[in-house]
Amino acid sequence: MRLRPTVIIAAREVREAARSRWFLLAAACFLVLSLALSMLGLAGAQRSGLAGFDRTTASLLNLALVFVPLVTLTLGGLSIAGEIEDQSLALLLAQPITRLEAYAGKYLGLLAAVAAAIALGFGATGVVVAASAGGGDVRAFLCLAGLALLLAAATLAIGTVLSTCLRARARVVGAAFSAWLLLVYVSDLGTIGLTVARSLAPGQVFVLALLNPVQQARVLGTLALSDRVDVLGPVGIFGIESFGGPGLVLLLVGALALTALASLGAGYAVFRKAVLS
Amino acid sequence: MIAAGGLTLAIDGRRILTDVSFDVARGESVALVGPNGSGKTSVLRCLLGLVPFEGRATVGGHDVVGDPVAARTLIGYVPQKVAFGDATGREVVALVARLRGLRPARVDGALRDVGLEAHAGERVRTFSGGMQQRLAIAVALLGTPPVVLLDEPSASLDEAGRQTFYAIVERLRANGHTLLLASHRSEEVATLTDRTIRLDEGRIVEPPAELGCRGRVVRLAPRAGAAR
Repeated sequence: MRLRPTVIIAAREVREAARSRWFLLAAACFLVLSLALSMLGLAGAQRSGLAGFDRTTASLLNLALVFVPLVTLTLGGLSIAGEIEDQSLALLLAQPITRLEAYAGKYLGLLAAVAAAIALGFGATGVVVAASAGGGDVRAFLCLAGLALLLAAATLAIGTVLSTCLRARARVVGAAFSAWLLLVYVSDLGTIGLTVARSLAPGQVFVLALLNPVQQARVLGTLALSDRVDVLGPVGIFGIESFGGPGLVLLLVGALALTALASLGAGYAVFRKAVLS
Repeated sequence: MIAAGGLTLAIDGRRILTDVSFDVARGESVALVGPNGSGKTSVLRCLLGLVPFEGRATVGGHDVVGDPVAARTLIGYVPQKVAFGDATGREVVALVARLRGLRPARVDGALRDVGLEAHAGERVRTFSGGMQQRLAIAVALLGTPPVVLLDEPSASLDEAGRQTFYAIVERLRANGHTLLLASHRSEEVATLTDRTIRLDEGRIVEPPAELGCRGRVVRLAPRAGAAR
């Protein structure tokens, strides 16, 4: 894979994202909600009404776990399907580039656009909180920003798999929303139901949780926020006892990275053989 | 310059092309004709490597599957329709120029050649069908590739646009470019090409006698002075 065409295509994706009303709306919502949560988090506890970094980080974790997958699954989903539908992908691939360069360029460009939106949301919140309330664990705040980016990388890659497989905007939007529901809400309920019905051991529940990137990010974020093991519940405690704190962090970061890479690989395997009309 | 051997294509279980073989010599201009759904566009897509096919196709000696970058470096492609998200005309041409390693100075010249310089800053999605086809021609001719594949290139052009297009194609022929043109327009085929390959239901067919000259496979010597 050559770097130059990949970067050219990535730059084009960033430009397209910056013009996309849907993406701009999502980025603005993330910014507004981040600021609103920081203000609500400590309402009444601080004279300014703004939370310090600790409570802001806790609020932002929940926002990132819901919002980032929703945006990235949809954005990744529309990336290739939209261009197959309007036939612009055929024109792009008629140029002297490989399909790998096109696929990687599109993914990296979208990830850069999402990273900019995350940086804007977290950055603005961080500046406001530091200026108004100050104090707290800045390291955890920054870890959470990095975690949001890692989660975005994984769910964006899943979105591109949906895009290459389903090839039509309407189908992809439906599938992206279903995947979001599954990852953010349904898998929790499913895991609980399975645990009760099958009397799963904590180790088995831990493995189930590792299959879901949102769960991986949730445990990682909780570890960044608190030293207390009990807030992680029995599954987290199992992870800590089995792998130790640093080992569990490494395992979860590795699982998120593996989710991203495996999804990218699967998406490319479909894309390289795709019929472009 | 173009060699297709046994091109066979099936999509979703439906046979699109069956054992299509032909050669196009350097400097030749060849028409692909046939009714709707006969496989003209699919042949072009095979040559561009846009669809997975059986058989073998080379452009300038480069296998379009095994060495796609080298093959596509030699090809300019005019699709039936050009869309490129929210990009402007200039951005589309500039993107292709960058991908082909051309100087940015070529962009305005390419737009001027097809009469789109006044619309360069407008979004392509707001272009009329004719403007989109002129943009497609500008994109295809960037870097003067020796092989140009044209898919119904004048279908949406008005009379003035068609005359401009014919003049561009004549210039390409005079300069020794190799052209493969998929078209429904008999006057276009007669004016712009040296011979015809007729397709029907995904196969190369000999023309029915009652059609006379139209559609006949006519082999002419390569144009004198063909440079590339």
